[in-house]
Parts: sequence; structure tokens; C-alpha cells
Amino acid sequence: MKSVRREVRRRVLRERTGGRAGAPRRAWGAAAAVAVAAVLACAGCSAPGAGKSATAGTQSFITEPVTTEQVADLGDVTLRMWADQAEKPLMKSVVPAFEKKYPNVTVDITYKSFDDLIATVVNAASGSTPPDLFQGNIGYAVDGALVKAKLVRPLDDVAATYGWLTGTGASTLAPARWNSAGTAFGDGNLYGMSPISEVQGIYYNKALLKSLDLEPPQSLSDLEKDLPVVKEAGKQPIMLGNSDQYAATHIFSDLAVTEQSPASISDWIGGKAGTTFATTGNEKAADTMADWAKKGYFGSGYDGLSNEDAIARFAKGSGAFFVGGSWNGAKLDPEKFGFGALTTGGAGATASPWHIAASSKATPAAVAFLAALHTPEAGQEILDTGRLPVVTDGAKGANSLQSQTLDVLKRTIAAGTQVGYYDWSATDMLSVMGGRLQEVMAGRTSSAAFTKAVQDSWRKARESE
Amino acid sequence: MSTVAPARERDTAPTPTGIRRSSRPRRHLTSLSWSSLLYVAPALAFFAVFVVYPIGISVWYSFYAYDGLTEGTPVGLDNYTAVFTDPDLRAALLHSLVLLFFYAALPVAVGLLLAGAMSRIRVYGLTLFRALLFVPQILSSVVVAVAWRNLLAEDGPVNALLRSVGLGRFTTSWLGNFDTALPSIGVVGTWVEYGLCMVLFLSGIVAIDRSTYEAARLDGAGAVREFFSITLPALRPQISIALILTVTFALRNFDLIWNTTRGGPGTSTTVPSLYVYQDAFQNRMLGRASALAIVLTVVILAVVVAVQLLLRERDGRGRGLLRRGPVRPARKVQP
Repeated sequence: MKSVRREVRRRVLRERTGGRAGAPRRAWGAAAAVAVAAVLACAGCSAPGAGKSATAGTQSFITEPVTTEQVADLGDVTLRMWADQAEKPLMKSVVPAFEKKYPNVTVDITYKSFDDLIATVVNAASGSTPPDLFQGNIGYAVDGALVKAKLVRPLDDVAATYGWLTGTGASTLAPARWNSAGTAFGDGNLYGMSPISEVQGIYYNKALLKSLDLEPPQSLSDLEKDLPVVKEAGKQPIMLGNSDQYAATHIFSDLAVTEQSPASISDWIGGKAGTTFATTGNEKAADTMADWAKKGYFGSGYDGLSNEDAIARFAKGSGAFFVGGSWNGAKLDPEKFGFGALTTGGAGATASPWHIAASSKATPAAVAFLAALHTPEAGQEILDTGRLPVVTDGAKGANSLQSQTLDVLKRTIAAGTQVGYYDWSATDMLSVMGGRLQEVMAGRTSSAAFTKAVQDSWRKARESE
Repeated sequence: MSTVAPARERDTAPTPTGIRRSSRPRRHLTSLSWSSLLYVAPALAFFAVFVVYPIGISVWYSFYAYDGLTEGTPVGLDNYTAVFTDPDLRAALLHSLVLLFFYAALPVAVGLLLAGAMSRIRVYGLTLFRALLFVPQILSSVVVAVAWRNLLAEDGPVNALLRSVGLGRFTTSWLGNFDTALPSIGVVGTWVEYGLCMVLFLSGIVAIDRSTYEAARLDGAGAVREFFSITLPALRPQISIALILTVTFALRNFDLIWNTTRGGPGTSTTVPSLYVYQDAFQNRMLGRASALAIVLTVVILAVVVAVQLLLRERDGRGRGLLRRGPVRPARKVQP
């Protein structure tokens, strides 16, 4: 106490003699307080997250489909779910049917925008009362973290019991398979499932093509022949909005998959040791992107336009083609636009997979819900609400655009080119690859430098695991 | 806030600092008594729980490789060395320096100009203008970003305006061009911040004694002379506050950039706080994100302290500047 007084007096004296540093000293005081707080917080100084051992609990394995009696045994129960907003139309039909079949279950869904969901779902899953059933996202940032921390229940038994391992949707499960350490995916135990498929392809403006005497493209080589003709006619060949940095990487991946074996790409995305991005195929695809950009096939200012704005413009009639994923189709008039495949069918993947919390108290109900999503009826419902189902048996498109998209999806799965997305390969890959590709397309860096930078980032991600 | 003393008191003040300040330290002493501590306890507790403790946690995390879920591993100072050796981060820091000009220097300059003009010219509906010019400051930054994204688009109003006045060759996709993206975001920041500066300066000008202006006018000072000799020196404390606010805004700026360019095209608009967000929420590298955030905080503190040291008034310096105004013209009139 005495020393404090002395200090105060010293300060008073200093102030009287005109030496002052009011605000700066306050700043230093604050800094000191922070340092003290740091020391206090670190007093125990164990590693962060040390207390949180995952309670995997006693897993009851399933060998037969869950019965209504088993679910009824849970008593009155609320099935808490977190879902992407995009699931709302589908859930509107699935949930009432489910609650009718299992009257003791109340389904309570929290909807979030996709960005919001992937930013918060891991924390929600690691909280004290995690949702029973939730959507993650393929790749290290979300699914990898969930598997690593043992927060989600393995679904191999469920998949085997319900026959997901055979039939049209079987190949779509691969990206939800992880090794037990959560460091590589594409192979290993199954931790999630998605009823929604996605496929890349070429949307085209029917009227515009007709006015130029062009046939709808059925492959990338068709597209390449059409591009100069459209440009010559003074129209913008491909509508692209790349300010979010991902749209161009999707076109790049469509080109890249025609230049090399699809399996080698999935291996690289899944983090398989010894694979590389610095292949001649990828360099060639990057060169093509730069070439197209230079020739003005993407118009000008695509880096300042968002994908959302771009598809809106395309829907209004500007641009002959839009190369992108099937989820863009919902914004287009099915009478005016068509959908063509890329050479071998087209790259693509599945939407965010569903996971069951390892600590869920309502596992049978959660399993029953997943099973309800993986039926031909749900498949038709998914198609009707503007997306593509994993279970395509008997599904019929309501219009030509839907039928064309479904057809491309089936061909893609048959060709085995549903390789997934490059940005799954590392948590920061989207910005690394997206940003570098922008530089390639602007002619500011070479394709070789691009593939090297991407590979460096991939290697760093592997090392940090 | 001893620095915000009214301007008049200062320029007339021959009072020795010692006398005027002597009452303050005594108050300082009594503030240490326990009963007065009790009054500030609730605020102090709030501050400790929601400010000091989280900062402490960040400092703690910064020494670990931690994904937020599984047990972290201590890595010593590795996270900090990563911060200082990453070339991408260095580029981001350079971008921040460019933004400092647009987010801090320009708004203060524009704000001074506007405040100077508004104080001199009688404007009808002044309150309305003042409110309108302040609007950018109260808009949510997401709204600002979306609005400007449309204004600066390839086919947006800015380019339309350029075309209509025959400057069509200067049109570009402002936020999508490697060379114009950063200055464009800078201009958005200027637009957001100048209103705040202006309102601050106007409130400062109101506090200036009108008689000093009258005296200056009698001595033959023009508008410019008046501005530099009276208004500017008297606004020193407001300028200091404006700079602290705008500099902080510039260095921790994230939402405007995230909602306009996400750091692109390429890496032409990346800033340190963008990497803090990406590391913490996308890459699940909480240790590195914390280290970067702490370095950023220290940098901001250092800049703020530097601004305060540069602009503080002490001893003769501040008053000397003031004296130069009214006194010298007076001599001119005499002979």
C-alpha cells in the first residue's frame, strides 16, 4: 500500500512540474492491465481445450432399420436440427410426414445461411447441448474438425442397413468418409450423408444461340467452337461473376477434369500423400482460362461482379453461356434456358452432408430422419424444389431444364467425374486458389506460378495436420 | 480529458499550469478510497469480464496451436514469428497504410474544409445538411458495402456519369480491377468517415469565442487566414479525437472489405483483420489468429499514442501557434 501511495505522489509531482502524458499513460496502463489479465488467465496454464474430452458415449450399432416402436420408446422427444436455409422447401414436405409417422417426435429446425452455418456449426456441435442432427460441410474446416474432435457418430452401420452403399447414390458418399484422425477424406469411415447432388455444366440462352445459328453445346469442345462466334457477333460469350473468387475456380475445374484422370483429382482433393497440383493438365486448364479472359470471352469487369449478380444478368438475357453448378438453375426460366454437359459428363459433388451428434440422446429418431431423406419420394421432392437428388430412381423433371440437368447428373455419376471441389483440399484453398486464378486470368502471373502456389498451400495444410 | 479544454481559456491563459492543475491531483488521491471504488465496481466488473478477460484469453491462445476443439499444443512464439515473416501479411499491412490515407487523412481534411465553410457561410437548413452528411456514419457497413458495390459496378452510376461527360475511357470495374480496387475501397471509407469528422469539428468551432474572429477581421484577416490562425489551432483536440477514431477504423477495417472484394482481386485488397477472420473462423487456427489480433492491437495502440503525442498541447508550443494568429496582424495595423 505504501508503495502505491509513493507512486501516486510521484505522479502528482510529475504532473505539477508539467511532465504529463495523460492519455498515453492511460494506454500503457491498459496495456499493463491486459498483460496482468493474460498472466492471470494463464495461471493454470494448461493447453486450451484440455478439459474437453469428447464423450463418444456408448454407441449402439444398428443392424436393422429403425422401427416406429424404437422411436416411440424415446418418449416425447424433440429432434433438434441445424440446417442450411436452402433446405427449407424440402423440409416443408419431409418434416410433417416424419412427424406424422413418429408422433412422439417434434422436429425443431434452426435455419442459417450457408456462410453463417459453416462458421458456427462446429462450435454448436462442441457445446454442451449440441443439435442432434446438423449439416456440416465437406473438407477440413468443418467436417474434418468434427471428426477429429469425435463430435459426430460414424454412419457405416446406418448406410449398410439402409442400403445406401449400393444404387445410384453410392458414389456420392465418398467425400463424407474420413480416416479416424480426421486428416484425410474420400476413404475410411462414413461420417455423413447428403441427399442432394450437384453437377457442373453449361447453361445456354436458347434464343441467343438460335439467332446465331448455333447448336446447344454438349461438351466443352462444342463450347470452345461457339465462343468466338458469339464474340464475333458482339455478344458476351460467358457470363461470369467472380468477386466471391469461386466461380472461376469452378470453370477451371471443369477444364482441368478433361485434361487428366478424374481419380487423380479426387485423390489430390482428399489429401492423398504424393499427389500434386502442379500437373501439365492443370497448367493447361489455367492457360485456357487466361486465354479466354484475354479474348474477352468473360466480358470485362467479371472480378467486380458477384456470382449472384451474374446469374441474375444471365437470366435477363445477357451472355450466351453460363458455366457453373446446377444450383444456379433455380434462378433461370426453364423455357428460355438449356443445360449442357461438359465433355465426360462434368465435375460436381454433393451438398453439405448431414451428421448425427455423437452425444445425441435421440439417435434412433435422427437415423429415421436421415432414412426419410434418402428415399425416391424425397428424391422427387428435391427435384421438384429445384435441386438434384442423390437418389435418382424414377425421378422425373417437371420441365426440360430440370430433365436435362438430371440427365447430365446421371451421366456424370456414370462417368465417375464427380470429383468434388478443389477448395475442399485445405481450409484456405478457396482464397488461395481463387485469388491466384484471378491473377492468372488478368495476365499478372503464369499458370506455372499458379499451380506452384496452390501446391505450396496444399503442402502446408498437410504439414499442419 | 484535460486536452478538451475550451479554446478560449487556452489562448488567453497566462495562468501557470501548476496552479490550474493543482486541484486535479487531489481529486485523484481521494478516488483511491474504497467507497468510491464501490461506485465503479459494476462497470469495472463488466469491463473485466467482457474486455480484459477475452483479451487475456487471446494472449493465452496465441502461444498455442489450437483448433478450438481438440487440446492445443504449445508452440512458444511460433505464431508471432509466423505473423512477422508471412509475405502475404506484410502486403496486407502495406494495404492498411494506403487505407490510412483514405480512412484517416482524407476524412479529416474534408471534414475540416466542410466545417470551416459551414461555420463561415450562413447556410439555411444547416441542421438538415449536418444530419444528411452524417448519415454514412450511422449506416450499417454491410449496407454501405452493397450500395457502393452497385455504384462502382461496371455498368453502375459512377461509370455512367463518366461516360455522360465524355470520360468513357476511364470507366472500369472499379472493385474488380487490380489497380483501382484498393483506392476504391479507400474512397468508400472516406465517404463513411468524413461526416463524423465534420460534426466533431463543427462542435469544436461552436466553442470558439466569436470575438477572436471579430478581432481577426478587424485586423484585416481573410477567410483563409482566419481558418489557419484561429479555427485550425483551436480544433486541435477535436482533430486528435477524429484521428484516433479514424485511424482505429482504418487499421481494424474488415467488414467493408469482406463485403466488397473479400481481399481480391488476387490479394490486392487484403488487410490484416481479413486474415484474423479467415484464420479464426475458416482455418480454425485460433492460435495464429490470436497472435495476429494482438499484434494488430499493439500496432493500433502505438499509432494512437503517436497521434496523441504529436497533437498534444504542452507548454509554449500550442499557445505559440495560437498567438501567431491574432497578434501579428495587429502589429501590421499600427504603424
